[in-house]
Amino acid sequence: MVDRSDSTGTTTVLYVIVVVVAVLIGTVLAPVVWSATQASSGDSEEPTVSVVTLRTGTDPGPVNDVKEQLRQARTNDSVEAVVLRIDSPGGAVASSEEFYLAVNRTAAQMPVVAYVEGAAASGGYFGIAPADRIFVKPSSTVGSIGVIVSAPLSTVEQAEAQSKTYLRTGPDKATMEKDQLREEMETLHNAFVDTILKHRGENLSVNRSGVAHGEAYLGPTAVRNGFADDMGDLNSAIEFAATKADGIDGDQYAVDYREPVSPSGGAIVLSKDIEAVDGNVVYVDGTGEKGTEFQDPYEFYAVWGVPVTDDAREVNNESE
Amino acid sequence: MRASEILKPLGVFVVVIAVILAGTALVGLLGGSGAAGPADGEEIDGQSPGQFAPENVLATSAPEEGEITVDDGGENKRILVDSAHSNRYSRSDLAPLVEALAQAGHEVDFTPSTAGDGGGFGESSYNATLRGYDAVLIVQPTASFSDAETAGLSAYADGGGRIAVLAEPPQLSVGGGLSAQISEVRFGAQDLTQEFGLRMATQGLYNIEDGGNDNNYESILARPDGSSDLTEGVSNVTFDSAGYVVRTGDNAQIRMRAISGTRTLERRQVGRYPVAAQNDNFVLVADTSFLKSSELYDLDNERFVSNLLEFLVSGDKPDDVPEGSGSSGGQSSP
Repeated sequence: MVDRSDSTGTTTVLYVIVVVVAVLIGTVLAPVVWSATQASSGDSEEPTVSVVTLRTGTDPGPVNDVKEQLRQARTNDSVEAVVLRIDSPGGAVASSEEFYLAVNRTAAQMPVVAYVEGAAASGGYFGIAPADRIFVKPSSTVGSIGVIVSAPLSTVEQAEAQSKTYLRTGPDKATMEKDQLREEMETLHNAFVDTILKHRGENLSVNRSGVAHGEAYLGPTAVRNGFADDMGDLNSAIEFAATKADGIDGDQYAVDYREPVSPSGGAIVLSKDIEAVDGNVVYVDGTGEKGTEFQDPYEFYAVWGVPVTDDAREVNNESE
Repeated sequence: MRASEILKPLGVFVVVIAVILAGTALVGLLGGSGAAGPADGEEIDGQSPGQFAPENVLATSAPEEGEITVDDGGENKRILVDSAHSNRYSRSDLAPLVEALAQAGHEVDFTPSTAGDGGGFGESSYNATLRGYDAVLIVQPTASFSDAETAGLSAYADGGGRIAVLAEPPQLSVGGGLSAQISEVRFGAQDLTQEFGLRMATQGLYNIEDGGNDNNYESILARPDGSSDLTEGVSNVTFDSAGYVVRTGDNAQIRMRAISGTRTLERRQVGRYPVAAQNDNFVLVADTSFLKSSELYDLDNERFVSNLLEFLVSGDKPDDVPEGSGSSGGQSSP
């Protein structure tokens, strides 16, 4: 009996020791496994404010790059807030809407704060409208809410007067009446203006017609009329974003500056005959040497700018 | 020591460590994906925003219905369309009007662009040319009328001849050629219209209020002011590049005004600006764009144009009006 109870006691002690040692070793190894699982989704541990920079027009290439950076911010656990640093005069309406939707989706998940480095006009402002706060400096330009349509005469008035004969299967194929063009322009304008009112309506001191006028404002005016919130710089925006982020405690956070999205070629908004590399999109000269090249029958722009004319292009070339 | 005495504790040892590490990994992975928000492709609120809904954004154009009609009234009238004062219009824009007049049995002549003394019709004088017509239509003249022509037209209207002047506010025009020069185009017949107590103002109009325009801020809406033959059956017209008229005398009557919310392009002053006025046999409309094929049938534009044509052909002018030669040298009468 004594022998047996001794034996049972020894066995119990052995198991207790085994379990304790196992727990200790497990505890030591657990952080390694934990960081391995975190590293597998590409995250670092420290809560981060991600700075996404757009320094060009809101055309498809740059917007796609920004969308990807915002997607990475959303799927990265350590990113607790995004600061959008922007200098953009806008661009095509289609990609400006994409920009808006990507920012809107991000803002639904974490604080997004905008800092207007140069301009956030037209399509550029479309994109930052969902931001929790917009910081500007005196020379920042914001606003210019509106749509411009660019259509060659062959679309609107001279569909039949082409240097080459081309036949169409229907009277409305790749052509449009001026009335119709304005109707579509107004439709896109409504979506644009109402987006601004939805996100900024409570701040704005101008009414819908005022927004629709399409005026661009300098920073101080924008703070007064509600197109922007505060005077500040990039650090003001980062600090505000960190304050708003749930996962950031005090100043315990990192700032991750993503690769700025900027033009890598001489891209000029609205000019198509200049060969340019813009983000992931390569624009090529539309006038081919042989064969028939087609251009879009019409294109809608949310842009703060005027069409480049031959005169202006000459001046630009001389000054380069 | 039996093998089981070593294997059992070893098994427990391995199982405990495995459970701890597996649990950690599981919590790490689950926690990670849980905090990363909705996966791509997952619909979240706000990505089909209300402000994008078709019922919110869709703009509609003014319906294009109706016809331009002119009563023949039993009489065949002759209408002169002025081309001698650097008028800015295209004959194709006037084609539907000419067609409607022709259908009603009336005759339309365009003066040659270089008029000469007699209006370019081989007549001895401007007044002699006017004597051959029952009405004169003057579309956006950018050159001025001479004193003699003004006097002739004044006598013409006094004697029962009908005159309609369609004018535009000052606007920029880009010339063709290599050096695309930009020049300002101004209405050139202020002296003539002032003879009838009316002038064109020097600013254009716009309206950016919701429902205040025809899909563009420059495409303003106007409504009749009081009732008159000129606005019979008209409730809304749309003008694409409207200016407004200013009364300088007491006899002119305002026939149409821009709707409330309309502003001037330069000073941004809001008001119900007069866009069409009449002084007996003289009518001034502060827009020419409603003649264009894209505008002609918008809203009640075709009704207004019909009334305007009716006005031109319903005068009662004796054949000897205006009297005299009305030569361009300034001697307006013998």
